[in-house]
Amino acid sequence: MALLEIDELKVTFRTRHGPVTALDGVSLRVEAGETLGIVGESGCGKSITALSVMGLVPSPPGNIAGGAIRLAGEDLVNTSPRRLRRLRGSEIAMIFQEPMTSLNPVFTAGDQIAEAIMLHQNVSRAEALSRAVALLDRVGIPEARRRADDYPHQLSGGMRQRVMIAMAVSCQPKVLIADEPTTALDVTVQAQIFDLLNDLQRETGAAIMLITHDMGAIAEMADRVAVMYAGRVIEEGRADDILDLPKHPYTRGLIACIPNVGKGEGGEPPPLAEIPGVVPPLHLLGAGCAFRERCGSAFERCAAERPRLLGPAAHPAACHAVEEGRP
Amino acid sequence: MAGYLLRRLAYGLLLMAGVVILNFFLIRLAPGDPAEVIAGDMGGATAEVLAAIRADYGLDQPLLVQLGRYLGAMMQGDLGESYFFNRPVSELIGARIGPTILLVLAAQVISITIGVAMGVMAARKPNGVLSGAVSVVATIGYAVPVFWMGIMLIILFASIIPIFPVEGMADIRLRNEGWLERMIDILHHLALPAFSLAVIFLAIYARLSRASMLDVLGADYVRTARAKGASERSVLFRHALRNAALPVITVAGLQFGGLLSGALLVETVFNWPGMGTLAFDAILRRDYTLLLGVLFCAAAMVVIANIVTDLAYRLADPRLGGET
Ligand SMILES: Nc1ncnc2c1ncn2[C@@H]1O[C@H](COP(=O)(O)OP(=O)(O)OP(=O)(O)O)[C@@H](O)[C@H]1O
Ligand code: SF4
Ligand SMILES: [Mg+2]
Repeated sequence: MALLEIDELKVTFRTRHGPVTALDGVSLRVEAGETLGIVGESGCGKSITALSVMGLVPSPPGNIAGGAIRLAGEDLVNTSPRRLRRLRGSEIAMIFQEPMTSLNPVFTAGDQIAEAIMLHQNVSRAEALSRAVALLDRVGIPEARRRADDYPHQLSGGMRQRVMIAMAVSCQPKVLIADEPTTALDVTVQAQIFDLLNDLQRETGAAIMLITHDMGAIAEMADRVAVMYAGRVIEEGRADDILDLPKHPYTRGLIACIPNVGKGEGGEPPPLAEIPGVVPPLHLLGAGCAFRERCGSAFERCAAERPRLLGPAAHPAACHAVEEGRP
Repeated sequence: MAGYLLRRLAYGLLLMAGVVILNFFLIRLAPGDPAEVIAGDMGGATAEVLAAIRADYGLDQPLLVQLGRYLGAMMQGDLGESYFFNRPVSELIGARIGPTILLVLAAQVISITIGVAMGVMAARKPNGVLSGAVSVVATIGYAVPVFWMGIMLIILFASIIPIFPVEGMADIRLRNEGWLERMIDILHHLALPAFSLAVIFLAIYARLSRASMLDVLGADYVRTARAKGASERSVLFRHALRNAALPVITVAGLQFGGLLSGALLVETVFNWPGMGTLAFDAILRRDYTLLLGVLFCAAAMVVIANIVTDLAYRLADPRLGGET
C-alpha cells in the first residue's frame, strides 16, 4: 500500500458547453519519501488532481464523479468534511501556483503560519508565533523575527512562496503537494526553492507531489514522473527512464522542448522546440486519442479508439503506436 | 500618519470654508429681504423700521463685508444670532446636534451590521433562496424614499401594532425617572426613525457586501485558508470578511453625507428634536443665519466622518498603513 493512492479518479465540471470531464480515470501512487513529478501542458488537469487530494475542487461547478483517493489506506473522497479539515494542513499540505495572491493581505506572515500551527497542534499563540519565526528562518528568510510581522505586500514573490512553504510544512505533513511552486518566480529563486524542498523532504521524509510543466525541474527533483494530457495520465515511469527513453509522442515532444537537457555538449544550446498545435477543448474530445491532431505518428486506429495506459508496470504509456511497436 | 492626518484636516477646513462661503452667497442671493423677515409677518413695518433693522444686523453693508464679518465671528465660535429664536445660533445647534448624531450613528450601525450580515449570508449560497430574498429586499429598500418609509412605519406602529413610539425623542412622563429608564426610553423612541433612515443604506451595504464577499470567497487566499484546515466559520468571518469589509468602509464614508440629509427628512417626519427640525424651521422662517449655521455644522460632520473613514480604512488595510 502506497502512502497516497489515487485510483481511477474522475472529475467533471459543469460549463457553458455542458459537462466536461477534466480528469478521466487518473491513477497515481506516491510512496513516503518519494517525489512524484506531474507534468503536462496548461489545462491538462494537474491542479485539479492536486485539489482533489486536498478536497478543494471548487464545487460547484466541479464534482468528483468517481474513483478513490486514499491516504495511508484512508478514503478521502467520502470522508466527512470535519475529518478532511483535520487532515488538511496537518497530514496533507499544498503549496499553490500563485504566490502573489495565495497569502491573505490583511494578516502578517507570522500570523498566517501560526494559524496553521494552532489549527492542528495544541499550543499557545505565543508558542505558535515563535515556531512560525523558526520556520521562516528555516525556509531561508533573513531576519525572520522582523519579517514575521510583515504583511504579504511587503514581501517579494520569492519570499511569499517561502512563507507558503513554511506554512505548508509547519505541521510536518506526510504528503506535500507543490503546484508549480516556482512558475511565478525568477530563475535563481526557482533553484533555491527546489533546494529547499529537497532539504525539507530529507528532514521530514514527506512524499512530494511536484506539479510542473517544466521538464528541467523534473530532471532535478523527481524520482518518478507521470505525464498528463487532456485529463489523463498518458505515460508514467522513473524520472530518468522518462527523460532518456520517452515513449509517448507527447512526452517526446515535451522533452524536445527542454533546451540543453541530456544532449548538452557545450556550445550553442539547441533551439527551443515547441509541440505544434494546442490541447483540444475538453468538451470537443470525442473518441480516439486526444493527441492525434498534433501527433506525427497518428494512424487510423488513433481516431477510432482511445489508447489505454499499457506496457510494463514500471513504464506504461497510452499510445497505439507504442503498443503496436510502430516507429 | 500624523502628517497625513494634518493634511487631511487642513483640506477639511478648506472644504468647510468653501461650503460656508458658497452657502452664504446662495442664501443672500435668494429672493426675499431678511430685514422684512426680522420685522415680522405683520407687514406693518415702515421704511424707517426696516432701515433700522438693516443697520442693526449689518445688512446695509456690502455682501463681501458681511461675509468677512461672518467669517471673523465664526473664527471665534460665534455663528451669529437667530432672527426667529432671538438666541445665538451656536446655542440652538448645541441643543440639537446630540439627537442628530445619535440618530445618524444608530442608523449607520443598523445599516452596516444588518446589511453586511445579509450580504454575507447571501454570498454563502449565491444561487440560494436567501440570496434571492436579499436581492429583492435590497432593491426595494434602495428604491423606497426615506420619508415614505418613515410614514409607513408610523402608520404601522401608531395604529396597527403600537409597540414603538412614533414621535419625539423622550416621554415627558419619565423625566424624573433614573438615567437607565430614560436611556431605554430614548432608545425606544429611536427605533423607528433610526430604522427608516437605515433601510436605504442597509440595502446598499447588503448588495455591496454580497458582491464583495462573492469576489473574496473566490480568492486564492481563501483557498489557502481552507487548505490549512480552517473551519468554514473561520474562512468566512476571519479570512473573507476582513477583506470584503474594505469596500464597505469606503462606501460608508461616501454615504455619510446622504445619511445626514436623510436624517434631516426623518427628523421632520418623526418630530425628532435634531438639526433637521431646526433646519426645517430655519427654512420656513427664512432664518438665514440659523440655516447657514446648520449647513456649516453638517459640512463639519461630513468632513469629520470622512477623516474617520479614512483612518478606519487605513487600520483595516495594512497595504495603506504608514505614511502616504
Ligand atoms: N472552475 C472551473 N470551471 C470549469 N472548468 C474547470 C475549472 N477549473 C478547471 N477546469 C477544467 O479543468 C481543466 C484542468 O485544469 P487545471 O487547473 O487542473 O489545469 P493545469 O494542468 O493545472 O493547468 P496549468 O498548468 O495552467 O495550471 C481545465 O482545462 C478546465 O477545462
Ligand atoms: S495513440 Fe495515436 S495519436 Fe495518440 S499519441 Fe499514439 S500515435 Fe499519436
Ligand atoms: Mg495548475
